Formats: sequence, C-alpha cells, structure tokens
Amino acid sequence: MADVTESKITDEHRAMIGQRSDPIEVVPKTADAQRMRDLLGDTDPRWADGTGVAPPYILAMLEPRLPAELSPQVLSSGILTQTEWKFSQPIKLEEPLQAVTQLIDVRDRLGGRYGYSVLVMFQTSYLNSAGEEAAASLRTITQFDRPES
Amino acid sequence: MSQLYYEDIATDDELEPREQLPTEDKAVEFFGRDNPTNPAFGDAEAGRRMGFGGALVPGLLKLSWITNYVGMWAGSEANLRSVRVAFRRPDIAGRPLTLAGRVVDKRQEDGVNVVELEVVTLADDQPTVRGNVQVEIPSRP
Repeated sequence: MADVTESKITDEHRAMIGQRSDPIEVVPKTADAQRMRDLLGDTDPRWADGTGVAPPYILAMLEPRLPAELSPQVLSSGILTQTEWKFSQPIKLEEPLQAVTQLIDVRDRLGGRYGYSVLVMFQTSYLNSAGEEAAASLRTITQFDRPES
Repeated sequence: MSQLYYEDIATDDELEPREQLPTEDKAVEFFGRDNPTNPAFGDAEAGRRMGFGGALVPGLLKLSWITNYVGMWAGSEANLRSVRVAFRRPDIAGRPLTLAGRVVDKRQEDGVNVVELEVVTLADDQPTVRGNVQVEIPSRP
C-alpha cells in the first residue's frame, strides 16, 4: 500500500462539517420491540408487553441511512467501524421521533489495518414531540482505498 | 432478573460470560423478515462473494447483545447511559461468540452513581467487538 504523506481531505470536505439533514420521522414499532426482545431473550419488565416502552436496542431499527449529501467521499470504500448509542429518556413505542443527522467530523488516520484512512463521523439525534433529544447515535465510517488487484 | 446496587460493585468486578450462537436465521429475524437488509447477513454465499468466510453477523445485532448483556447484569432499576463499540473484525454466522465484561470505574456525578464497563465479544478467544458502557445504578435502599 502506498504511503500517504499528506491529507486527502480538502477544504470542500471540511466545509461539510456541521451540515444537517432534514428531519426524518421514525416510529418505534411495537412488533419490532417484541420480536427483538424475544430474539435476545430480554426479560426486563420495563419494556415488557403493555408498558409502551421500547427496549434501548430499538435504535437498531430506527437508524436512517446516512444521507449521501452529507457524506464526503474522500476515499473509494467505507465500512462502519464504530457506533455509540446515548440515551436521555425512555423511548415510547408508536410515538414518532424526528431523526436529524449531522456530519460532525472528518479526520485523517495514519496507520492501522487500512493504511491511510479517513474517519467520517455522523450523529443522529432522535427528538420527541417536545423537541427534546430522547436518544442519539454516533456512527464512524472508516474510508479507505481498496488495494489494486 | 436480579438488581445490583452501587455499593455492591467494585472496580475489576467481572460479569459472568455469556455465549451466543449467531446464525443467518437470527440475523434475518433480528431486522424482521420483511425488512431489507444486507444480503450477506442471511446468505453465506453472498458473504463469501464479499470476501468473508460465510454470512456476516450484523454489527447492530452484536451491539444489541451487548446492550442487553449489561442491562440484565445491572437490573431493571439501572439506567443505561451509553454504549460505544468498535467493530474490530467481522464475525461469521455459525461461530459461537462469548460476551465478557468488566467494571473499569465507578463514580458519582452530580449525585448520580455511574458505573463504567468494558465489554467484548470474543470469537476463538479473539476480540471482535470492543465496547464501553456507562450505566447509572441506584444506591441500596
């Protein structure tokens, strides 16, 4: 793999940092919560049938696709390498949330298994009907160039 | 489901390991059979075409296992604050995974008891996912 000595991140890429998507409505579904609970063997009474509360991992069903217009394409390939979920309030089943995704950082990474790579970080905030953040997810995509075959 | 209290927890406490067997069927069922997902989650041949040794285990399924693992350890009076994971290497369906965890810190923040854990998934004793979890745990009544 060729050594890269200077950043491939341009001013144009950096200018995208901070941009936000339009809100997307997502609804935590009762059927999804039941199916996931059963699959994981989760017996926590807080999100048992009839409570109206979603288990925290319902976020796996809500995460919107990363918007192409917010995604700087610095290198040719990308893979999800980190995810963080943060919880501020219980998530209510069947109550719509507004998901807003923001590009929060683009940075170089030297070394590691991909050689020169670029970390692209997004945050999606899930806002309830009062406009308060119920949860958030941070996703890091590692971009790299595939070696020529 | 038992309940842990802040006073009962010490740094370096270890969680009892839990084994999971990921399968193509579980991966498809996790997202729902009617929902589109990466074909490599449910089809070993699709995974092999992508250069892996079989069907891939979805990262979000492993993240959910970790979330549930810590939640069940802490008890239903605890509140999960955050779960952060790094996907270190792909997991292949049919290979058992072991979840393991350890308390790395406990502290009080603005009157709230916070316990921090390191959690991993291990395949053949090698970590495939490394995570950090923060959970708020009540004091003993």
